[in-house]
Amino acid sequence: MADCDDDEMFLDSGFDGPVLPWDRFRRWVTCFCVVTFDIELGQALELVYPAHIELTDREKTNICYLAFPDSNSGCMGDTQFHFRIRCSPRSCQKSHLVKRYEDEVPLAYRSDPAHFYGFAYFRQVKDPSIQRGYFQKSVVLISRLPYVNLFTEAVQLIAPSYFENGELSLETVCHDIDQWPYPEAGHTLQLPLMGNVMQVRVPSRGDKPGAVSSPDHPLVAHIVPQMPSPKVIPTLRDPDIFRCLQSVLPHIHLLWELALTNEPIVVMAPSPTICSETVQALASLISPLHYCSDYRPFFTIHDTEFKEYTTRTQAPPGVILGVTNPFFAKTLQHWPHMVRIGEMSNLGIYTKYKQLLAKDKLIFRRLSKGNHPKRPPEVQNAILRRHMLELTQSFMIPLERYVASLMPLQRSISPWKRPPRLKPFDADEFLTTLEHSGPQLTSRLKGNWVALYRKFFKSANFEGWLRHRKQEIRQKLELLHLEALGKADVSFWIQDKQEVEMVDLFLQIKEKMACSESFYPPISFEVKQQLKGHLLSIIRTLPEDLQFVLKNS
Amino acid sequence: MHRAYQTPGGSIRDIKLCLLGDAGVGKSCLVHRFVSDAFNASSPPTIGAAFMTKMMLVGDQAFKFNIWDTAGQERFKSLAPLYYRDAAAAILVYDITSDSSFHALKTWIKELTRYGPPDILIAIAGNKCDKADQREVQEEEAEEFASSVEAVFVETSARTNKNVHWLFEELSRRLPQEQAESLTGNRTLVRPKQAEEHPKRSCCSEK
Repeated sequence: MADCDDDEMFLDSGFDGPVLPWDRFRRWVTCFCVVTFDIELGQALELVYPAHIELTDREKTNICYLAFPDSNSGCMGDTQFHFRIRCSPRSCQKSHLVKRYEDEVPLAYRSDPAHFYGFAYFRQVKDPSIQRGYFQKSVVLISRLPYVNLFTEAVQLIAPSYFENGELSLETVCHDIDQWPYPEAGHTLQLPLMGNVMQVRVPSRGDKPGAVSSPDHPLVAHIVPQMPSPKVIPTLRDPDIFRCLQSVLPHIHLLWELALTNEPIVVMAPSPTICSETVQALASLISPLHYCSDYRPFFTIHDTEFKEYTTRTQAPPGVILGVTNPFFAKTLQHWPHMVRIGEMSNLGIYTKYKQLLAKDKLIFRRLSKGNHPKRPPEVQNAILRRHMLELTQSFMIPLERYVASLMPLQRSISPWKRPPRLKPFDADEFLTTLEHSGPQLTSRLKGNWVALYRKFFKSANFEGWLRHRKQEIRQKLELLHLEALGKADVSFWIQDKQEVEMVDLFLQIKEKMACSESFYPPISFEVKQQLKGHLLSIIRTLPEDLQFVLKNS
Repeated sequence: MHRAYQTPGGSIRDIKLCLLGDAGVGKSCLVHRFVSDAFNASSPPTIGAAFMTKMMLVGDQAFKFNIWDTAGQERFKSLAPLYYRDAAAAILVYDITSDSSFHALKTWIKELTRYGPPDILIAIAGNKCDKADQREVQEEEAEEFASSVEAVFVETSARTNKNVHWLFEELSRRLPQEQAESLTGNRTLVRPKQAEEHPKRSCCSEK
């Protein structure tokens, strides 16, 4: 990738300024890779489009191996799947602009600075004109956005056309994508692609979790009301958990606990398609909570993290790996939880884990009622999703409530003092709140909730969630402090102050204002005006030479 | 909420339309004139295809045109089927000052009948009619050709805006009702409130 620096630099011009070629493209897609099987070289990267994108050797190697099914399990015809790889550490801080765009987007829908998602379309057909007798090629879409449903759909349109028309198709596709509007929170977008129009909605943090996605913002100017003609992709990334996990449905609550607490899980499936879908489904079981650990929808023995993840010298990492190569059955023998899924022998979940909560039998009864008469699969999925969502919410609400209580009282905020600090998270203190306001208020599930919380506290999901919440609260405190400062009578306060104190206040206000630029929600126009007024009234009371220095600071 | 396009009929019809023709005949300029009422004499050549939408009222019916403006360059020709594959209508464009661009239409018609949808509505636009002094294609000749292939015909000028809207209006008028439905693959949408107020006569309304 043409290093993120200049990559993102270009983006800055995109927000208010003119949109340059590739600006919009790179908000959605990094590049396309075409991987072929060369009889001499094995998997070889035939083409990267656009050509100016630079990938590191490590990234290229990973993409090459992951673009093909691992064990040649007779994937004749076309096979689609996706994978996730680490990208090389490069100065990949998201730019101010991308942050501003993504502030309103839920965590799980933001671009991932540390990973690439690859959406592969592999074709294997007999071709006597080729030395090996087989045509084996893969088109891979690489993006930092985890929009599995959208990109799976897109690659399905793009790859067959590439196999037929060659590079020209990719040129056209990139041009189409460069016309897509930016993925802005809460917007319904129509995305043209090779004679088709796909319609998606980018969720917003303002959405009610689990609400049916429907446009709530007016559509972008040149886009008109949706009609049946565009292909509507209901969610950018949520997999159909009912379909993906149907064969292990009776254990769905067990899987939820494992995913929630970041237990190491290996998914073994006969094909990369099933394997990547299942891993995605597992990681999304705890939605709206963000799965914070690593997960690899498709993982092979060639992966550069193979050693790191399979070593026996350490405890297995808390990640989810999706594999198809039977070799892993041995390599990952020491892993505590294995899900065998798809048409293979010994189906099921292999684990010694003791479920902490009881199963909710009601949901199974509701789902099985749907079989006669046949209920549409999307309805079954929606029912199951809602159930899992409610379970996660029952688990999280007490934590949310407790964390909110760590916020200092509003009256302790003084314009003349630093904003007060957040009280530290105390696990034991939290557990004592469970008795009167625990998950039993919203969930009928019985079991050892306390043990589940204790397990959760050790997980990456908890750490990620808490870090995110703390950051939000800190920002909220800063915001309240700025509001208090805005309302304060600054001219009165500076009357009896030394020059140095006034200068200090001036600089402080300036710094805070600069800092608040990245706040979500942003500070109000009113507060901004008040603060600007303060800056003016301070500066007026200072001697002229100082005024000059401060104005130019 | 959808932005409400209030039409007495209450429904909006989706039309997929594509523009085909030789490079430089003014396909993109025609679309730009229609969609944003603007003209740029030196617009860059289209890559692959450009996509635009435009709402239009004809009588009491609202139409939403999903327009695919394809590239005229020879090298993009192999991609054209992607765009006209399920189109309800196609506008074939030639330049009245270029005989060869007019003769290229025959190939396009052949291709459309072979690979396009069976009932695709075809219009032929003789563009750049503001340059009559450089004319190479006679209007009568083009008209005759158009009627032989049952196509709507008109000479247009994206520069002066002559006949541009008429062309799209005429297309929407010629689009048979049932065709509009079957080609977009779905039913049209009726705003529920209006549907109650005025029970619809036609069969294309939902509920």
